[in-house]
Amino acid sequence: MRRALDLALAGLAALAAFVAIGILVGLVAVIARRGAPAVTWTFLTEQIRLVGAAGGIFWNVVGTLILLVAALAVCLPLAVAVALTERVWLRGARARRLVRTALYTLNGVPTIVLGIFGFIVLVQGCGWGKSWLAGGLVLGLGMLPTVAVALIERLHAIPAKYMEAAAALGLRQSQIVWAVLLPQARGGLLTGALLALARAAGETAPIMFTATIFAGATLPHGVKDSPVLALPYHIFILAQDSFDPAVGAKLWGAALVLLGIVFSLSLAALPSRLRAHEEAH
Amino acid sequence: MKPLPGLLAALLATSLAFAETLKINGSTTVNLPVAEAAEILRAEQKLDIQVDTQGGSSGGVSMLGDGLVQVGMTSKPVSDDDRAKYPAVKFREIHIGEDAVALIVSKDVWDGGVRALTKQQARDIYESKITNWKDVGGKDQRIAFFNKEPGRGTWEVFAHYLYGSPKAAPQVSFPEVGGNEETRTKVGSTRGALSQLSSSWADGKKVFALALKLDDGSVVEPTEANIASHKYPLSRPLFVLTNGEPAGSAKTLVDFLLGERGQELVKKHGYLRLKDLAN
Amino acid sequence: MTRAASWFFSLLALAAFVLLAVIFAWQSGPVWRAEGAGYLTGAKWFFRQHEFGARPMIYGSLAVSVIALALSAPVGFGAAIFTAEYLPRRPRLAVKVLIELLAGVPSVVYGLLGILLLRDWIYTLCARFDPLSGDTLLTAGVLLAVMILPTIVTFSDDALRAVPAAQRRAARSLGLTRAETILTVALPQAARGFGAALLLAFGRALGETIAVFLVVGRRDNFAPANWLSPRALLEAGQTITSKLGSSETNLAYGDPRHWAAITGLALVLLAISGSVTVLGAVFGRKADA
Repeated sequence: MRRALDLALAGLAALAAFVAIGILVGLVAVIARRGAPAVTWTFLTEQIRLVGAAGGIFWNVVGTLILLVAALAVCLPLAVAVALTERVWLRGARARRLVRTALYTLNGVPTIVLGIFGFIVLVQGCGWGKSWLAGGLVLGLGMLPTVAVALIERLHAIPAKYMEAAAALGLRQSQIVWAVLLPQARGGLLTGALLALARAAGETAPIMFTATIFAGATLPHGVKDSPVLALPYHIFILAQDSFDPAVGAKLWGAALVLLGIVFSLSLAALPSRLRAHEEAH
Repeated sequence: MKPLPGLLAALLATSLAFAETLKINGSTTVNLPVAEAAEILRAEQKLDIQVDTQGGSSGGVSMLGDGLVQVGMTSKPVSDDDRAKYPAVKFREIHIGEDAVALIVSKDVWDGGVRALTKQQARDIYESKITNWKDVGGKDQRIAFFNKEPGRGTWEVFAHYLYGSPKAAPQVSFPEVGGNEETRTKVGSTRGALSQLSSSWADGKKVFALALKLDDGSVVEPTEANIASHKYPLSRPLFVLTNGEPAGSAKTLVDFLLGERGQELVKKHGYLRLKDLAN
Repeated sequence: MTRAASWFFSLLALAAFVLLAVIFAWQSGPVWRAEGAGYLTGAKWFFRQHEFGARPMIYGSLAVSVIALALSAPVGFGAAIFTAEYLPRRPRLAVKVLIELLAGVPSVVYGLLGILLLRDWIYTLCARFDPLSGDTLLTAGVLLAVMILPTIVTFSDDALRAVPAAQRRAARSLGLTRAETILTVALPQAARGFGAALLLAFGRALGETIAVFLVVGRRDNFAPANWLSPRALLEAGQTITSKLGSSETNLAYGDPRHWAAITGLALVLLAISGSVTVLGAVFGRKADA
């Protein structure tokens, strides 16, 4: 009887795991199979023609990269500041917990809300019109909790004796931060940034009201009225508005490329994460 | 929070290379010939043109009114309400072609014998007074009506025909479809489906365009001849809109669209050219 | 200097988010003034008539999220038990990495799969119940279930691993089978973490826009008399996020009352998903160091 339960639980758990992995791997396989034929060198280096039926996605990829760089530039100073505030400048467990809870909560802000927020304040309020920078700001805000939390956890893992030793040597707090803490926590910052970027690369909702159009943009000029193209939005529009057979394979190809970008960013964070995992155990 | 200096420098360098950017927004119907025209002009004359289709025809009007774009695309005339909302804007409608709205059905409905509807029947379906195809001569199948998104020119032409004005249309709640392609796909893959679609998109393979039974009893199909002669009542003009007379890149685009090559694009995408129209 | 800069940027970040809440509260003012609580309980949304009721959309959002949780929780918990309790360290890490990688699949890609595959599957599978089309609340719920699965697996796995190995060893040495150890030692202690995982996944499901927009049907004013009715799930519906992501948002901008209704929806969404997320964070709070 007990043995039966033992086997049953093991079996069910294994089944659940296989179903979970199976579904997730399966959907990537579907995308890869349908999209691979379309991803050629020309696809990646040409621009859209005939409303998606011909040409490639070059400027969409470029646009996505521009948005990511801008988002990172916005997010890093803020995330480092918040992490330092929580770890170094704030005393008291209560205050620190408050900051962390706030970060987890902010992580749950739906991205569509961020997008509309950017639309109200930047596109309309500041009169920027659709702008790559507006997209970058909104994406950066969305990335903030992930990066800040990753950095906080990494800082947390630095043994207290490093800081004590540095203090004993006469270093000021700010010197300790720049000479000891941040260099040691570089891995956490990198990990958090890459993971957050992976998520941001695939986001459509924050950029569709603030930064992106369907066709015609190449490189932005200035800040106002400078939209970019972006892969997720491209896929979103074509998914609704085009099942022309000519577009079909290209649509899957674009999805595959986007997946490739997202996975590359996630995988790039892997060595650092594994190292942190090893150290923690 | 400022971008890296290197990026700024690159941006400045590229910005010097670009002339005034022509921004266009509006109807997905008009988008097809205009987007292709934009591609040609971009390639041949190095014009910087951005095309988007946010919000359909209404988006075209509102973004032109708000000054966010220089050219709007619409498949319906600018209404008095629109003019009142933007008193400072001189809406100039430039007619580039003609299209018609058809009521399309899925294959099973077409094969079931429904080939035409009267205005009253259409109204009753829209108001959910008729909910089964058998009540209009078809098989016993629930009517799956997909309504066009608000703001779509296609919807406004439909509402205008049934009720005289979009504002007089009753409020209904049906599942929504957005652009032309989405409509065609959904109707093609759903049993008993009915929706409004640009007639040139009804391919007669997946979706089929119904004829309209007029008050005098005649049955008018949405053929090119009937649309050109305005016998088919659900025709609609395709416009590009500008604020005042078009100038600069906008004028180049408009001249192209009205010229031989532009009109060929209009025809290529299934619409009627200006010279095809009866008057 | 560093301290000042840290505080400055931290407060800047905080200010941005506070501004977000304030802006939505402010911009939605007109609709609250005009309809008050009726905005939340009203069942009709007819924007041309300036009649705004959010209830059907609240129902839609809750319905698809609950479906998602119901479908993915058993699979997710089971998979987490497998990775945390049965797999040796290396394979467990590999599986965790794989699942987290897959967590990054963008929602627009899920939407694509939903349109091109899931929609037809549901339409054919449920043909017996005569759904109007393949775009239903159920379709959106199933899609969401797959999307939140990695979240549930990851957090549940973490919760189980947080239970000290020593306790498991002690239980085994007392003669308990593996299953009994899991059920009586590990799971009860991880229950809080499992709860947090569910709450966080729920929050994510509530806030998902693009994938839901593409397959939910986008039909306004649909809410069954009985919110618990299962047949209603096979109808096309509307969620708060699918309305916000639609063309109506662009359309609404010029009209203060309409715009207020839209931002009101965003505010409601913020409130609901915000509370769920806070609860999840508080629930899963690790001991402070």
